[in-house]
Amino acid sequence: MPRVTIDDRTLEVAAGTNLVDAAAAAGVQIPHYCYHPRLSVVGQCRMCMVEVEGMPKLQAACSTPVVKDGMVVRTQSPAAVEAQRAIMEFLLINHPLDCPICDQAGECGLQDYSFKHGQAFSRFRFEEKRVYPEKERIPLGPTVMLNMNRCIQCTRCVRFTEEVSKTGEIGFFNRGSHAEIGTVEGRPLDNPLSTCVVDICPVGALTSTRFRFAERVWYLDKKPSLCTGCDAGCNITLEHRRGSIKRYKPRYNAEVNDYWMCDFGRGTHERYRDEPRLLSPLVRKNDELAPASWREAIDALFQAVRAKRADGVTAFLGSGFLTTEEAFLLAQLARLVESPHLSVWTDSGPARQIPNPRGGVSGREAAPNRRGAEWAGLVPGADGLDGENLLLEGGADRCAALFVADSDFGKAARDPRVVERLRKARFLAVMGWADTPLARAADVVLPAATHAEREGTFVNSQSRLQRFTRAFPAPSQARPGVEILAELLGRFEPRWGSVDAATAFDLLAEEVDRFAELRWHSLPPQGVSLAAREAPEGAA
Amino acid sequence: MSSPATPVALPAEVVARIDELRPRYPTEEALLLPALHLAQAANGGWLSAESMAAVAELLHLPVARVAGVVSFYDMFHPQPVGRHRIRLCTNLSCQLRGANELAVLLRHELGVEKGVVTPDGRASWVSFECLGSCDTAPMAMIDDAYHENLTPDQLRRILAELD
Amino acid sequence: MASERVLTRNVGRAAARTVRGYREGGGYEALSRALRMQPAEVVEEIKKSGLRGRGGAGFPCGMKWSFVPRNIDKPKYIVCNADESEPGTFKDRLLMEHDPHQLLEGCVIAGWAVGASTTYIYIRGEYTVATAILEEAIRDAYDQGVLGASVLGSGFRHDIHVHRGAGAYICGEETGLLESLEGKRGQPRVKPPFPAVVGAFGCPTVINNVETLCCVTHIVQRGAEWFKAIGTDERNTGPKLYAVSGHVERPGTYEHPIGITFRELLDSCGGMYKGRALKAWIPGGASAAMLTAADVDTQLDFDTLAKAGSMLGSAAVIVMDETTCVVRATLRLAEFFAHESCGQCTPCREGTNWMRILLERIASGHGAERDLDLLASVVPNVGGISLCALGDAAQGPVKSLLAKFGDEIRDNLRQRRYPLPQVPFFDLGAVA
Repeated sequence: MPRVTIDDRTLEVAAGTNLVDAAAAAGVQIPHYCYHPRLSVVGQCRMCMVEVEGMPKLQAACSTPVVKDGMVVRTQSPAAVEAQRAIMEFLLINHPLDCPICDQAGECGLQDYSFKHGQAFSRFRFEEKRVYPEKERIPLGPTVMLNMNRCIQCTRCVRFTEEVSKTGEIGFFNRGSHAEIGTVEGRPLDNPLSTCVVDICPVGALTSTRFRFAERVWYLDKKPSLCTGCDAGCNITLEHRRGSIKRYKPRYNAEVNDYWMCDFGRGTHERYRDEPRLLSPLVRKNDELAPASWREAIDALFQAVRAKRADGVTAFLGSGFLTTEEAFLLAQLARLVESPHLSVWTDSGPARQIPNPRGGVSGREAAPNRRGAEWAGLVPGADGLDGENLLLEGGADRCAALFVADSDFGKAARDPRVVERLRKARFLAVMGWADTPLARAADVVLPAATHAEREGTFVNSQSRLQRFTRAFPAPSQARPGVEILAELLGRFEPRWGSVDAATAFDLLAEEVDRFAELRWHSLPPQGVSLAAREAPEGAA
Repeated sequence: MSSPATPVALPAEVVARIDELRPRYPTEEALLLPALHLAQAANGGWLSAESMAAVAELLHLPVARVAGVVSFYDMFHPQPVGRHRIRLCTNLSCQLRGANELAVLLRHELGVEKGVVTPDGRASWVSFECLGSCDTAPMAMIDDAYHENLTPDQLRRILAELD
Repeated sequence: MASERVLTRNVGRAAARTVRGYREGGGYEALSRALRMQPAEVVEEIKKSGLRGRGGAGFPCGMKWSFVPRNIDKPKYIVCNADESEPGTFKDRLLMEHDPHQLLEGCVIAGWAVGASTTYIYIRGEYTVATAILEEAIRDAYDQGVLGASVLGSGFRHDIHVHRGAGAYICGEETGLLESLEGKRGQPRVKPPFPAVVGAFGCPTVINNVETLCCVTHIVQRGAEWFKAIGTDERNTGPKLYAVSGHVERPGTYEHPIGITFRELLDSCGGMYKGRALKAWIPGGASAAMLTAADVDTQLDFDTLAKAGSMLGSAAVIVMDETTCVVRATLRLAEFFAHESCGQCTPCREGTNWMRILLERIASGHGAERDLDLLASVVPNVGGISLCALGDAAQGPVKSLLAKFGDEIRDNLRQRRYPLPQVPFFDLGAVA
């Protein structure tokens, strides 16, 4: 592998690596706009000019590969610094002073590089800035808004729709200083990955209609997480302000979603804001649900679940939103009461596809973790009632007790016919975060944390196990599912009472072959593929 | 947003001519400029959204890409033009020999500004960059022909003869 | 001064437009000879001749041909750059309209030399007459077995296709041309890779100007030594077409041995228009730095002009007399570059526009000396870091304006003399 020296740091890189990437590996950030590792190299912004020993002119780092030993590069030589200053000046002469009203402020390529590489004053004082008449706020499509005055013509968005989404909605029009990006009338930017152009736009020319004017980015707490829109398992950054989620952005994972996520996934946090929430445990007394303490609620559930009754079975039903750990604990519960009636229910959703150089990842289910929940043990025993029986066929009337945990079935939790069927169980307990008709029909209601308020793992459609952490604590009396189930299990055997997600995972790893040798604290950030692992006998 | 331009079939002879050109190039995309010239000539000298969509469909290209190409080149007109298209060269050599005065004359005789079609649809004019005829400056390209060594009187005569 | 007409020998001889008529004048002998040589020998001959590109860059032609990899499993292409859009240039048009076979012959020879079976003549869309003449000549050439499956019965296949541009100066830049040929916006590519290795459709491609390919024909016919004997020295060889326009008595295309002085050239055009005094002259198209009356004895070749701070470029000589406002003239060229900038890269897209704005302020009377200082500091950044040479080219006229006329402009600014009175070329009478 050839060796290259960048700002006096020498390192080895794979032959063909461009200088922007090589420098990054050496810890040197070369400023750039048009370059993106997943898009074709065009070398047009001219921001990444560096000095290469032996070459009379400055070279664009993004289009200069390291091919053999001995390349010596200076990114802060006087010539390079002057070039960076000049490019910043050129970009700013026609750029509107929109910072006070622009979403991009705080995460803006122009702001950042201007501060580092530009100058603090404008020499373009007496002229009118170029404007694109009537293109200050035009919807490019349902999810993206364009302000053409802010555009720096880097063409990342054009190349994205040509090369990544392969939908070709965005074109580059006109020449010279009138050059602009845009769509053709009647063919808006409308593909599953549309909003990704907002992520890659270095400035506020492209903004997300979903996030427009929602929050100043410096107020946002940014936590790594996973999207729950389907089982593709896209890595995201969950951005919130004091527990109010403002935005999901994709987070790079070469094995799963690369740099992207789909528009649908981006909106999956809105329901936590829009739908009413369960904030207190509820217990039915005199045919009315009344607030109760956690102790009361868990006690009532404990009694109902452990009783061996002749008039019916005890069943457990989970959703695809359960974490692997929650599912494991629920399965333990079923084992403790010797019930074969345990299962997971998930709607199948429209297929979602995220391209990556390895072939892409797709999600076919409407929830993130049916696979993990089943592999953690939520599979019916012989003749066991499963989700289909319970939700669609009326098997609940065979139940003396039915514990639905959790209830995030989506549409089914609001479907009166489903609620009616499940209510046929003599005793119905519901654990969940949403205040749904199903919850309101239950005898015991346990308010759970939403996805952002708990930690756990999911297994995606490609059998990749990924861990996510909590972004902020659950409000009021809501608690993470693992805590609730651990406390309930603790009523049976005290050793369960203090189990948290980490412990639950490690216990699961000891018990289930598929997870053998894994430890919560050493799970790698890009996740672990379980695809090659043998399925234990008799399992799904 | 209005519905997308329904690809109107290009005239059969245009499609036939494009097909004749296919063996010349290893890619279909390379047919784009010849195809646009042909489509424009068959559409009264300009390329409507429908023409562009038709060419895009024929060559299996995204419409936005075709529109982007059209907008790049000075000889492609995405807006209607007059029956006669006047391109007056106003680059340096022609300016040194009276092109500015001819521009004033055009505006006066036709009664319209650059890029605007006369009310009767007869003509439209633009100023153009060097047309490669600097030794016969000043000059103009009208439709497909060069009119060289222009004087104000000659230009008046030529304009009068445009139908 | 009488010099042999080589490139323009068939101008005025309409018969030369047919294969038969062309052959009667000795045409297609060079091609026969080339086909009897080894391709590498042909490349050597061109190298020895010292032929430098006549499109503007002046790159040694033989060296460019030698960059084409020999053993590669891909088709190769010759692309004739007939985009001729450099202001003041019209020599290629003359060659194509009057002697199309001279060009076709050069293309086939080039194809033989580098192993290419296809030539695309990329001709600017506005040259409708030249296009028709070329297409007719090509049809005739196929009929007569000069083109097609077996050129002159040699077994070597060569096809020539005419491909029309659509009005964009930047398509005269090699990789801008290739993009346009491939059906895209004519936006120049990042280099390396160079066209000789990755060119048209990803294949090795030689791009040569019309006049260059016409020279090839004569070099193969009469030998490198003969070609080298014409001109200034061994780096500036051969006959050259000079396209003269502006304030001269007889604008036109003049063939001279390369290296004639401007004074001699001016004489051959009948001198200054109406005998007026010379104010400024451009030796090689819009990108070439302006020169003045002090420079009239400069030899018009590649190296001498480069040493004089300008360039031969396309040898488009534009002459301006004392009635010209040089600021306005430079402004016109700045407008040209701003209009023709493809818009891809920041320094050219924004810089050409900014220079235009500043020149407009000065020429219109709204400027001050600080605008001149600002212009001087902006100009260096428009080129040098741009993606292609248009950014460098745009600097040329402005830099020379400041260098040669800076004092005069400052004086005018101080005296508030702008806008200078425009001397109309035509008197429009009542229409003002």
